[in-house]
Amino acid sequence: MELLFTDDQLAFQESVRGFLQKECEPERLRKLWETESGRSPEFWAKLAEMGILGMTAPEEHGGLGMNEVDLVLVLEEIGRAALAAPVAETVAVGVPLLAACGSPALQAEWIPKVVAGEAALSFGHADTPFVHDAHVADLLLLHAGGRTDSDIAVHAVPRGDVTLVHEPGNDPAGRLYRVEWQPSPETRIATGAVAGTALALAFDRAALAAAAQLVGIAQQLVDLAAHYATQREQFGRPIGSFQAIKHMLASVQVRVEFARPVLYRAAWTVAEDTAERMVAVSHAKAAAAEAAILAARTALQVHGAIGYTWEVDLHIWMKRAWALDVAWGTRLWHRARIGRAVLDDSAAPSFGYSARA
Amino acid sequence: MKILVTVKRVPDPETSIKVKPDGTGIVTDNIKWVVNPFDEIGVEEALRIKEKVAGSEVVLVSIGDKVAQEQLRTGLAMGADRAILVLADDLDPLGVARVLAKLVDDEKPDLIIMGKQAIDDDSNAVGQMLAELLGWPQGTFASQIELSDDQKSASVTREVDGGLETLSFPLPGVITADLRLNEPRYASLPGIMKARKKELKEIPVADLGVDVTPRVTITKMEPPPSREAGKIVASVEELVNLLHTEAKVI
Repeated sequence: MELLFTDDQLAFQESVRGFLQKECEPERLRKLWETESGRSPEFWAKLAEMGILGMTAPEEHGGLGMNEVDLVLVLEEIGRAALAAPVAETVAVGVPLLAACGSPALQAEWIPKVVAGEAALSFGHADTPFVHDAHVADLLLLHAGGRTDSDIAVHAVPRGDVTLVHEPGNDPAGRLYRVEWQPSPETRIATGAVAGTALALAFDRAALAAAAQLVGIAQQLVDLAAHYATQREQFGRPIGSFQAIKHMLASVQVRVEFARPVLYRAAWTVAEDTAERMVAVSHAKAAAAEAAILAARTALQVHGAIGYTWEVDLHIWMKRAWALDVAWGTRLWHRARIGRAVLDDSAAPSFGYSARA
Repeated sequence: MKILVTVKRVPDPETSIKVKPDGTGIVTDNIKWVVNPFDEIGVEEALRIKEKVAGSEVVLVSIGDKVAQEQLRTGLAMGADRAILVLADDLDPLGVARVLAKLVDDEKPDLIIMGKQAIDDDSNAVGQMLAELLGWPQGTFASQIELSDDQKSASVTREVDGGLETLSFPLPGVITADLRLNEPRYASLPGIMKARKKELKEIPVADLGVDVTPRVTITKMEPPPSREAGKIVASVEELVNLLHTEAKVI
C-alpha cells in the first residue's frame, strides 16, 4: 500500500494553491457574494483549463480517470481558498455517481461538458434537506424513494425541470436550495441495490469532500491567526510572543495534523471502496470538523474584537467551517455511525478498527 | 520557430533568507526552491509565441545541480516541449553565458528569452553577455514583445528610466523579460502529467568544452543592516532641521 502522495499529486496541489490564492482573493470573493448567482462562469472555465473539473471523469469522456486520493489534496486547497464554486458537488460526487449509474448516452452527453467547464452537477440525498449550488447545476442527481431496494432510486433531472427554493445559510458564499420535483421514469437512472450502493457511496464522497475542505479551512484559520498574532502588538510585543496565544494556536495545529492522515486514509478507502469506508469517512469528517471548529473559535479569540467585524476576512472561513460542520452528517451523526460499526458484533476485524471478539 | 528559455532554480522570494555565520553563503536548510520569477515570465512568453506560431518548439535550459530538474519539470508542465540541464557547480555570469552560447551552437534557436535577472544574486548580466558572445541583437527589460508575421524580426518595448523605448531588430536575438511582460500561467493537471514523459537531457558541463573558470569570486555575504525605527516629526521646519543636523543629507 502506497502511503505517500506522488510528486505529481503534490505538484498539482501546489499549482492549485497558487492558482486559487490569486483567483480567490477576499476582495473577489466579496464581490461574488453581491452577484445574483454568487458564482462566476469565467472562473468555472478556468477550473476546467486547470484540469480540476476532469479529474474524476473517465478517460473515454475526456477526463483524467483519477480517484479520491488524487482529489483530496485539491479539495483541501479549495477549503483553504474558500472557493465559491460547486467543485465538490460536481467533481467529487456528481461525476462518479453519473459514471456509476448513468446510461452510456447520458454519460456521453454530460461528462464531456463538465470536463470542458460547460456544465456543473449537484447532488441531493434524502438525509440532507438542501442541495448545494442547485441554481448553477445543469443536471441534478437526486435520491428518490426510501432506503430499501424495493423503492430506492437515483434520478438525473435537468435544472429546468425542478423548482428551487432558496434557503438562507451561515456562509455568505453558500447557496442552498430545497428542490421540489416529481420523479418520473424518464429521469430514473438506477434502482434497487445498484441505486442503494451508489447513493451510499455518493454520500460518503460528499462527506469526504466536506472533510477535506474543513482541513483546508482549519489550516487557513491557523495561518490567519498566526499571521495576525505576529502583527498585533500589546504591552510592546507582538501578541504571538505570549504563551497564552502560542499554546492555543499550537493546540489547533496539532488537531489539524491529527485530522490530516485520517482524511487521507478515508480518501483511500473511498477510492478502493474498502470494507472500512464508512467508518473511515465518518472518522475523517468528525476529526476535520472538530479541527475546523476549534480553529474558528481560536482564530476569533486571537483576533479579539476585530475578528467579529464584517471587514476582517476571518469570517469568510469561519462561517464556511460552521456550514460544512453540519453538511453531509453532523459530528454527532458520524460518531454514531462509528459507534455502530465498532460495537456491531458482526463487524469484520480490520487494521485500525477491532471488532469485539 | 525554436525558442530557448532559461530556467534558474532560486529560493522562493517569500522565503526568509539567512546568511551563514561565516558569510560564505546563505543557509539553505528548509528553503523552498522555485523557478526564478523572471524566467517564469520568459517561459510564459515563449509559450504564447508557440501558441501563435504553428510548429514552434520551446526548449528550456537550466544550469546547476541535478535538483534543478524540479524547476525544469515545472516549466515542462506549463507547456514547454523539452529541457536541457547542464550539470555544473555555481558559475559566474560569464560562465553561464559561455555555457548558453555553446548550447545555442548546438540547438540553433531563432530566439532566446531569459529573465532580466535572477532574484538570488540580481546580477542582471547573462542576457547581455550572451548576446555579445553570439553577436546577436538584444532587447532587455522587455515589457512587450511583438514578432513580425514572418518571425524574422522582433519589436521589443523596454521599460527605461522616464518611459518606454521600443527596439526592432532581426532575429535570432536575445530578449530578457521584465515583470510586466505577462502573468505566467499555472501548470494544469494534464500538463503536470505530460511533463514526466517529456525529454529532459542532462549534460555535464565538462562535456561542453567551455571555459567556465570564474572571473568573479564572492568573498563574503552579509545581511543588510536592520531597519531602525522611524521618527515622527511635528513640522516641516523640524524635518528640515533633522535632515540637516542628524541625517546630514541636506
